[in-house]
Amino acid sequence: MSFLDIRDLTVVYTNGRETVHALNDFSLRLERGKTLGLVGETGAGKTTAALSIMRLLPERTGRVLGGSVTFDGADLRSLKEEEMRVVRGGKISMIFQDPMTSLNPVLTVGEQIFETLELHNIENRSHQQLWERVDEMLALVGIPPERKKDYPHQFSGGMKQRVVIAIALACSPQLLIADEPTTALDVTIQAQVLAMMDELKQKLDMSMIMITHDLGIVAQTCDDVAVVYAGEIIESGSFEDFFMQDKRRHPYTRGLFGSIPNIDSRERRLTPIEGLMPDPTNLPEGCRFHPRCPDCTERCRTERPTAHERGGHVIRCHLFEKEGE
Amino acid sequence: MQPVIETKDLKKYFKVGSSSFLHAVDTVNLSIPAGATLGVVGESGCGKSTLGRTILGLHPATDGQVLYKGRDITHLKPAERKKLAREMQIIFQDPYSSINPRHSISHIIGEPIKVHKLVKGKAELEERVRELMNTVGLAPRLYDAYPHELDGGRRQRVGIARALGMAPEFIVCDEPVSALDVSIQAQILNLLMDLQEKMGLTYMFITHDLSVVKHISNEIAVMYLGQCVERAPSDELFKNPAHPYTRALLSAIPVPNASARERKPQLIRGEITSPIDPKPGCRFAVRCPHATESCTGEELHLTELSPGHFVMCRLHEN
Repeated sequence: MSFLDIRDLTVVYTNGRETVHALNDFSLRLERGKTLGLVGETGAGKTTAALSIMRLLPERTGRVLGGSVTFDGADLRSLKEEEMRVVRGGKISMIFQDPMTSLNPVLTVGEQIFETLELHNIENRSHQQLWERVDEMLALVGIPPERKKDYPHQFSGGMKQRVVIAIALACSPQLLIADEPTTALDVTIQAQVLAMMDELKQKLDMSMIMITHDLGIVAQTCDDVAVVYAGEIIESGSFEDFFMQDKRRHPYTRGLFGSIPNIDSRERRLTPIEGLMPDPTNLPEGCRFHPRCPDCTERCRTERPTAHERGGHVIRCHLFEKEGE
Repeated sequence: MQPVIETKDLKKYFKVGSSSFLHAVDTVNLSIPAGATLGVVGESGCGKSTLGRTILGLHPATDGQVLYKGRDITHLKPAERKKLAREMQIIFQDPYSSINPRHSISHIIGEPIKVHKLVKGKAELEERVRELMNTVGLAPRLYDAYPHELDGGRRQRVGIARALGMAPEFIVCDEPVSALDVSIQAQILNLLMDLQEKMGLTYMFITHDLSVVKHISNEIAVMYLGQCVERAPSDELFKNPAHPYTRALLSAIPVPNASARERKPQLIRGEITSPIDPKPGCRFAVRCPHATESCTGEELHLTELSPGHFVMCRLHEN
């Protein structure tokens, strides 16, 4: 079994009147030490997937209807809340998109790193040892340890994201879920943060899920890639499957690539995907992508495609049926 | 040919505290020929939006000149400014905050047309609004809809329709696609390019996204801390970037193909420094890998490397 194995996870949000189908039979696997890029547009369900792994879905509205999440042999869905609390932040950490709002403005950054360490202090380290670890963590992410007494507002966006990373890594997690960690940053700062994350991943021997909408970031940092559309993985495979030119691709993935202005080409017009993401309260019959798909057939309108695999490269589309298996 | 927009040593300082000034735009010289697109790139806080707004007169300039078709429009009387607003428009970054949530789509698009008395009577106004909605690809059924019923891409189309209502010649596009998803972003970029071809519009396209700017611009200006540090035709800039900052920016873009792995980005140290009362000399020097003593102390000037390619850097002065 894989290190992280998500099978047929189905999650909905309800408010009494409407039901948002956020994840539909969502399946994902991640091996130890690998980085998986989870790609998709706003509302595709990327963040919901991350929150479901962490069991952080909003209590009142979010509900898991079925499926399993297995992490390092343990079924996360059946853990007691106290047991989950040990996993969360200790074994699996998460970095959120916006560094400006994920830090507490009235605590110094040192206190915030300390807090995490204190909560997960399994080895019973002394107060002083924990503060030494705070210094160590700050140094690790490239912030002078003297700055632990500063408050978040005294840091720039890039520096804040470094602090957030330091908090996430403080307990040496085995899995790091990074939810758009650089979207709020400028490109030169983004390059710095990505390079640092890559280095730390090697050093600490972690697995990572990189949630992003930027295929460029995926190309730079990930070993495996999974594309989410309307709450399901429509394509997954290795880095090579996605970025070597002549490979087979799901029509949506092809559309995503066509939408990016390419720096190396002189193409004047982009070839965007027509139309919009489907309304998650009212998903289309058959293939979720069919209303926007250029290769749509009659069958796509009625029958939901199954996943077709070839050499680890999985595509959920009727077009690839014949060559499957 | 006479450029549509020209700036001469344009400056915009904001007063901070009792005696300090934030140099948001510092001695910027640009010119945009008719029907062309100038891309302005830079990171947050480099002054690119302030530059756009100062050109439109939304911020009064501190010093220097803005010329529109050769006429000095830096200090216009309000009445004249209003007249000019018909010819110069802006599309804002965030389609969620730039349109009024309490007005219907037809009201939002029609209001400037009414204010400028471009049509007579209600019937004519409706006809014009419907025509504009059609131009930007908004379905007629959205005529009476409200902004909350629209997604980001459609809202941005409303913003574009509103700007087009004046039949402008020059449009400042201030990060018009950065709040949108890639597939929607591509739709809007295509729309902007189609409109330019059809109506002969002149754009100033402000963005932090270098791949977008290459795609849409004829010429690109790179800004750093209020100064234009490099300016060149689009292809030339990407082929021969001269300024160390431009090079760092270019290498920092994550490219979505297999060769991305081998390409190691040139990381630049540190972050953007304070734009308040900057010392004379190169503002990038503290982060620059090639900085020497001669880079600070004295103001730098643009040097022309090849026709149309200007750079502000000691490395390239003879």
